Amino acid sequence: MIHLNEVHKSFTVKDRKTRSSKCIDAVRGISLTVKPGEIYGLLGPNGAGKSTTLRMIASLMDPDSGSIEVCGQDTKQKPEAVRSCLGYLSTDMGVYTRFTPRELLRLFGEFQDVDPLVAERRGLHLLDKLQLSDFADVKMDGFSSGQKQKVSIARALLHDPKVVIFDEPTTGLDVLTAKTVLDLLRIMREEGRTVIVSTHVMPMVEDICDRVGIIFDGKLHGDAPPREILQSRRAKTLDEVFFQLAAESEGAN
Amino acid sequence: MRGALLIAKKEFLELTKDRKTLFLVFVMPFLLYPAIFTMMAKLGKRSEDQNRNKASRIYLVDPSATLVPILKADPKQFELVAKPEGDLRQAIRDQKLELALEVAPEAGAALQKQETFQVTATVDESERASNIALKRLKGALEPQEKNWIQTRLKTLSASPQLAEPLKLEVKNAADTALEVGKAIGTMLPYLLMIMMYSGSMQHGIYATAGEKERQTLLSLMATRLPRIQIILGKLLYIFSIGVISALLNLVSLGLSISILGSDSTSSVQTMSAIANPMTLGLTFMIMVPLGLFFANFILLMGIQAKTTVEAGTAIMPGMFLVIFLGVFTMAPGVDKMAFLSYVPVVNVCLALRKLFSQQFSWLEYLVSFAMTVGLAGLMTLVSTRILNQEKALFKM
Repeated sequence: MIHLNEVHKSFTVKDRKTRSSKCIDAVRGISLTVKPGEIYGLLGPNGAGKSTTLRMIASLMDPDSGSIEVCGQDTKQKPEAVRSCLGYLSTDMGVYTRFTPRELLRLFGEFQDVDPLVAERRGLHLLDKLQLSDFADVKMDGFSSGQKQKVSIARALLHDPKVVIFDEPTTGLDVLTAKTVLDLLRIMREEGRTVIVSTHVMPMVEDICDRVGIIFDGKLHGDAPPREILQSRRAKTLDEVFFQLAAESEGAN
Repeated sequence: MRGALLIAKKEFLELTKDRKTLFLVFVMPFLLYPAIFTMMAKLGKRSEDQNRNKASRIYLVDPSATLVPILKADPKQFELVAKPEGDLRQAIRDQKLELALEVAPEAGAALQKQETFQVTATVDESERASNIALKRLKGALEPQEKNWIQTRLKTLSASPQLAEPLKLEVKNAADTALEVGKAIGTMLPYLLMIMMYSGSMQHGIYATAGEKERQTLLSLMATRLPRIQIILGKLLYIFSIGVISALLNLVSLGLSISILGSDSTSSVQTMSAIANPMTLGLTFMIMVPLGLFFANFILLMGIQAKTTVEAGTAIMPGMFLVIFLGVFTMAPGVDKMAFLSYVPVVNVCLALRKLFSQQFSWLEYLVSFAMTVGLAGLMTLVSTRILNQEKALFKM
């Protein structure tokens, strides 16, 4: 279970031209709940606040105000406990290319306090599911971006997390690899895991997400099943909804 | 602390996967120093042999032929050459000859009249061969000069001791071990600091800004390991690799000197007199907190940088500072400035310098040690506090 209550986050950035500091509100009062066995799609343009929201859920960042609970634990109070029940994957996450996938997973098993034998077995099972078992003992420096992404997915799921956060999991992947990832997400839903996914790919959202929230300028719009959002907005596709929100956002500014 | 050890283990495992780096860290020092020392010894020996066996070329202007017999007496030492073309000074600088000697034209008459005559020697004091020629000349003229004085005193029926009111006998209080110890004590702290800093620097950048650049730091932070443990693990790795680099370089340096000097028993004895277990132990003990201080600085700069280039730019001035302080402590007279015992980094150099030059003072050593430990502790506190903040890891 993931529960966000009125979460705010801002950053101070330096403007090199004017040499002054500027405060940017990345997330403005987001509240949402994602239940076990549900895939929640978080949509929004670049810089809307999706990654910041996901990083706060993963207890990598603290909210300025509001609270976030993951698996019943407050992210600010017990970040380690939150991360031990959570698998986090982001497109801007690399892999240690000097290792083989097996070595990497063994190492991350230790980091996550997983029994070495269990980590070995689960790691190989995940690599097999991701059609990467033939490369388990190959050094990753020659891997394609898709192969690296698959290893990252295996790393994120190695400790059998109840909550899974995938930040743009299919970016840069070919159609076949993207399908493997989507299939994996469906399996995770069937297994009763709480899944939250951020993406730009609208058809993917319509296809696999049970509920969708659209972030614009740090605010959450929507938060309903994709069909309900389409109906309420009188749109045929989520792309249309996206454009409507972009226009409204520009008008408001 | 388990998390920190796991992170350090990961860093070392990564290091072992890169054969090139492994070779540079663990094998290179054992090839480099013997190669450098063998080459230096061979070149030095060759040059020494050449200078010893080769007669010094002298252009002599001596109209009264007063010094000609002296210089012609030993052809192995002196070779009289014709006047070179062009400027005489330039010819010496160009090493066409080693020395030019001009004896006053009235030298013969002056000698007869028991008067003083002028001899002008032109040499290039920056050239070893020229200096050897001058030394040989002085060695050849000295007995002749004494001979002339004795003859003059005899003529005057004076005591031969008249021209020698005192006889200075110099006894060297320092033995070879002390001389070598002083030389090592001056150089060693400087070398150790540079080796430690540069060793930590490369790997520190890889483990900090390199992780950010390769986008792997986030995957570590997404594990259940507390952020502080990740920071401490990186610190442990940077510190360890600095100490290992310095130790390996030192061992190789020591082995090279011992092996190359093993043909003479005295050099081995000298080395073992200086490098006794206590001296080495005290050296290592004081270098540990200094290494921790360096590691903290590298970690602090490295983690806050977005790229390895940015980290290199931030960490490099530290290297220049280490070089500057090292060179400063080598200056003569610095060891007599008592207040320097309270200046961080410099005091470590001075403590080691005194340790090797048999002027060791426990008080000064302990003051330097305590100060360095305090500084390293303070730096660890500051760096972990700064880096434990979210903005340090997610620099905008």
